[in-house]
Amino acid sequence: MAGLGAGDRRQHRSFKAGAGGLVAAAVMLAAGAASPAAGGTLSNGDEHCLSCHQSAGTDMPLANGEALSLHISGEVFAKSVHGPFGCSACHSDIDPAKHPGDVAPIAGRRSFAVARAKVCGSCHTDQAAQWNRGVHAALVRAGNPVAPLCTSCHSPHAVMKGAAEAMDTVPCKACHGAIFTAYAASVHGVLRAAGVTQAPLCFGCHGAHDVKVPTAGAGMKDVCFGCHVDAVARHQEWLPNTLLHFGVVSCPACHAPKARRKVDLVLYNRTTKEDAARPVGVPEFESPPGSPAAGRTGLDPATLFNLLRTLNRPGAVNQTGIKGRLDVRSGAEAHQLTAAADAVSDCNTCHKAGADAFQSVTISVAGPGGIPVHYGVSKDVLNSAFSINSIGGFYAIGGTRITFLDVLLILALLGGFGLPALHLTAKWLSRRAANRPRDSERKG
Amino acid sequence: MRRIYLHPLPVRIWHWINAVSFVLLVLTGIQIRYVGLIDVIPFRTAVMLHSWIGFVVVGSFFIWFLFYIFTDKARLYHPELNPVELFRGCLRQAVYYAHGMFKGLPNPFHLSKFRKFNPLQSLTYQIVMLILVPLQCVTGILLWDLTRFAKVVEWLGGVRVVDTVHVLVFIIVVFYIPFHAYLAALGRTPLEHYKAMFTGYEEVEDEDSGAAD
Repeated sequence: MAGLGAGDRRQHRSFKAGAGGLVAAAVMLAAGAASPAAGGTLSNGDEHCLSCHQSAGTDMPLANGEALSLHISGEVFAKSVHGPFGCSACHSDIDPAKHPGDVAPIAGRRSFAVARAKVCGSCHTDQAAQWNRGVHAALVRAGNPVAPLCTSCHSPHAVMKGAAEAMDTVPCKACHGAIFTAYAASVHGVLRAAGVTQAPLCFGCHGAHDVKVPTAGAGMKDVCFGCHVDAVARHQEWLPNTLLHFGVVSCPACHAPKARRKVDLVLYNRTTKEDAARPVGVPEFESPPGSPAAGRTGLDPATLFNLLRTLNRPGAVNQTGIKGRLDVRSGAEAHQLTAAADAVSDCNTCHKAGADAFQSVTISVAGPGGIPVHYGVSKDVLNSAFSINSIGGFYAIGGTRITFLDVLLILALLGGFGLPALHLTAKWLSRRAANRPRDSERKG
Repeated sequence: MRRIYLHPLPVRIWHWINAVSFVLLVLTGIQIRYVGLIDVIPFRTAVMLHSWIGFVVVGSFFIWFLFYIFTDKARLYHPELNPVELFRGCLRQAVYYAHGMFKGLPNPFHLSKFRKFNPLQSLTYQIVMLILVPLQCVTGILLWDLTRFAKVVEWLGGVRVVDTVHVLVFIIVVFYIPFHAYLAALGRTPLEHYKAMFTGYEEVEDEDSGAAD
């Protein structure tokens, strides 16, 4: 989190550049900021701040050319959960005597938001710790320019109680719009919109701050079981090898029946069982996934076989294996959940050759923060004899059967029935010779 | 000609349970593997049947194994350890099936109480009963509950490896069953050996019965 190194004080001194007209506000802040009022009204000190910050058009130009709005709606702020604490609770670094004159330049909106996250964390310590463990923080650390920070989801001057729990105001949809649209039409979304609060909204499954990587394994299944506590027992009533299915098939793969499915093969460390990082020095993993250099069809069976052989060469510290998982192809499709009665329950959907589920294959390695990075793989790997050992960890009877074994079976059938038939024919043709008395018998 | 009691009751019970079970396992196995291409019974039903019949074969195998290990009949499955003798015996029998039989030459093998398998049969049954059936039982049990046996399966190389071994043995069985049924019909009459497998008695010529007893 190197970006957080810049201190709040420095950041807030940067108001100087565009806030020349706010000198009066600083004076007022000094006069009355210490006594915020409760009950939706603001203290005199806060009113003094707002006397400038409530003005429209108080945008501050930033070093990178962006503009930072300094406008605060006093009415909204007064109603927000932060209202009772007043301006100084978060802006204690502002020296009223020098504000807004002593404001250092702000590099950009992003760096400002990164710095402000530390201020949030000074009160919301639990949430900050959770966020640091989550996928959003991992993305920030990896330099993702749009990964959400505190202020991305919570407008600090307008945080309303319960806003994140309502479909209209849940902040996740700002970035995950397509997913939210799918969710809203799903069984969960429809029930939630109808006022059934037991139906989960985003945070109900993904957590509010410690958002986990939903595609990092079978973890989401346990989230589903958190509410659907009888899921295992109900599936065991009809689904053979239930626990195996739960281990290698994601819930949406069946419960989002209109979703397109795919097989995600995962490179993992056979000792630690953790997902393996991107193999270094392997050309197929050098190019960004999906780029022209990575190839259109992706890794072919022989290449995958050789890759595993290379990774597991004699003397290698870690042995690498490939496990597999049947999933849906996109996050939006993972949210197209239907009522249980409409879920896929026909075994033939997957357990037959050419099933839709096996037309798309990816291979994943662990990226920054454990976020999987998917590379394309030829669908032929699922049916190739090369894959018997290389992707020993994934197999769906019927659906991913080895084509070479089918050839052997045909030969066995031909031989098993054909050779006796030939022998019988030869026996019939030679019946006269066989029945002819032998010389010894004739002499006898 | 005289009758000798060659197939004791436990062996006959085992044999016919095995025979019916293997045919059913092959049929349900084909249904499981080729669902969509062959849809005689639902996939799930085929899986359930295959599993239950598989356990019948496992139980049947133990009938066979315990019978032979606790009786002097185990001699029937003693392997020929002399490779030259083994090769010579198998070749002699193969030449009979491929040539001598068509010329009306006598079968080089003579039945007796402790010598009821010709060299080819003996070798085949040793491979089938001491290697293939146990292998099929073990891989079948692993595939029956991959979660329970996850560690063993991973140690063996993964589910695909275990399944491939299971399918390879299945392919050998598919080849073997019609061959076995046909060879059993090459007695003096086509049903001679089949009847014996129900009654327990084989008819042998007088010179045969005393040959190696």
